[in-house]
Amino acid sequence: MSFEYHEPTSVAEAIDLGARFGADGRFLAGGTDLIIQIHRGKLRPRHVVSLHRVPGLDGIEANGSVTLGALVTHRALERHPAFQASLRALVEGAEVVGGHQVRNVGTVGGNIVNASPAADVTPVLLALDATVTCAGPRGERTLPLDGFLADPGQTALRPGELLTRVRFSTLSERSATAFLKAGRRRAMEISVVCVAARLTLDATGERFTEARIALGAVAPTTRRARAAEQALVGRAPTQAALREAGRLAAIESQPISDVRASARYRTLLVETLVTRALTRCLGRIRGTVS
Amino acid sequence: MTKLALTLTINGQRHEVLTEPNRTLLDVLRADLGLTGTKENCLEAECGVCTVLVDGRAVNACILLAAQCQGREVLTIEGLGRDGQLHPLQRAFIDHGAVQCGYCIPAMILSAKAYLEEHPTPTEGQVREALAGNLCRCTGYQKIVDAVLAAARESADRR
Repeated sequence: MSFEYHEPTSVAEAIDLGARFGADGRFLAGGTDLIIQIHRGKLRPRHVVSLHRVPGLDGIEANGSVTLGALVTHRALERHPAFQASLRALVEGAEVVGGHQVRNVGTVGGNIVNASPAADVTPVLLALDATVTCAGPRGERTLPLDGFLADPGQTALRPGELLTRVRFSTLSERSATAFLKAGRRRAMEISVVCVAARLTLDATGERFTEARIALGAVAPTTRRARAAEQALVGRAPTQAALREAGRLAAIESQPISDVRASARYRTLLVETLVTRALTRCLGRIRGTVS
Repeated sequence: MTKLALTLTINGQRHEVLTEPNRTLLDVLRADLGLTGTKENCLEAECGVCTVLVDGRAVNACILLAAQCQGREVLTIEGLGRDGQLHPLQRAFIDHGAVQCGYCIPAMILSAKAYLEEHPTPTEGQVREALAGNLCRCTGYQKIVDAVLAAARESADRR
């Protein structure tokens, strides 16, 4: 592994370098995936463009909507006061990424661009209907995260383009989120299955007006379970409705058998975890669960 | 490959290093500077034996490029004791028999230090979570956790 190393000090300069190197270049954020893949020989960039001297990419803004700079670390997500209530799934997703050493440097932008099917933060962002903004030589474009993730390690990012920020709306007080992960042990584990959910109740508390369910490690990308989501909208908030959503999500998932678990076990986990995550959302809206 | 001239601050001392851009902080610490207290094992941020503190935060030196540490403060186990005195965490690890083969210990101590700076009175569960990124294959975790809790109590008593 050998490469030239670059440290741009502005987004414009980073994009120039990205455009110049195209597929021969890679942007470096936290490096917790990139450097390992370079060591393994899976990626062989001739140019590594480190972003850590580019100002303005590590900010969190929360007022009406939330904007996360691409270099926001998992550590920063875990500790931000705006994510301790209805957006709690962000904390729950971030705090199970590796150990402290990885969370101290690994970034939100990296988690998205790395496009692991088992990513823990992207399901939460999918459940929040997040958009991503990419900057390239032809300017900026903003697109839904849903659809941005193409395949393991593949996104809609064009060669040389830089993901600069992620944005989503803050939630009403009748909404809540939850994230659950299953692994063979509690810490330092790649998800066998992970689930992020968001529920919104109407003003009377009698019907769901919106539902989002996103799954990790059961398809080539993290993805939404749309049939399960649709089945909840307009339904009364009963345990039976939440269980049915779990069953539908299990039917929608397309897991594989691998070293971590069998496809059959993953399907069972999806059903259980989706129901549990939705139950937790409902409890949070009602204030009965922390 | 163009070499980079880096100025690294390690354990309070400035070092001028000329190195290839693909070399990690771990490479430079162990091979160039002879600071072998930072251990090398999985090289994939799984085991945590290469943990050092950069600007006070625990990081895996095996996946951090040396170039990324320019202008930042690096603390390794060699820089923890002061004036020939052991750091209270080092003393507690000895007192509690927390060291078996010892290979994971420098990193355990540095992870614990970073965590205690932020959470001076942790619970046992919090200490276990704080050390989740550090593996001990002697599986001496109980005594390691005991030592960290004791160091935290001792430092609370001193305040």
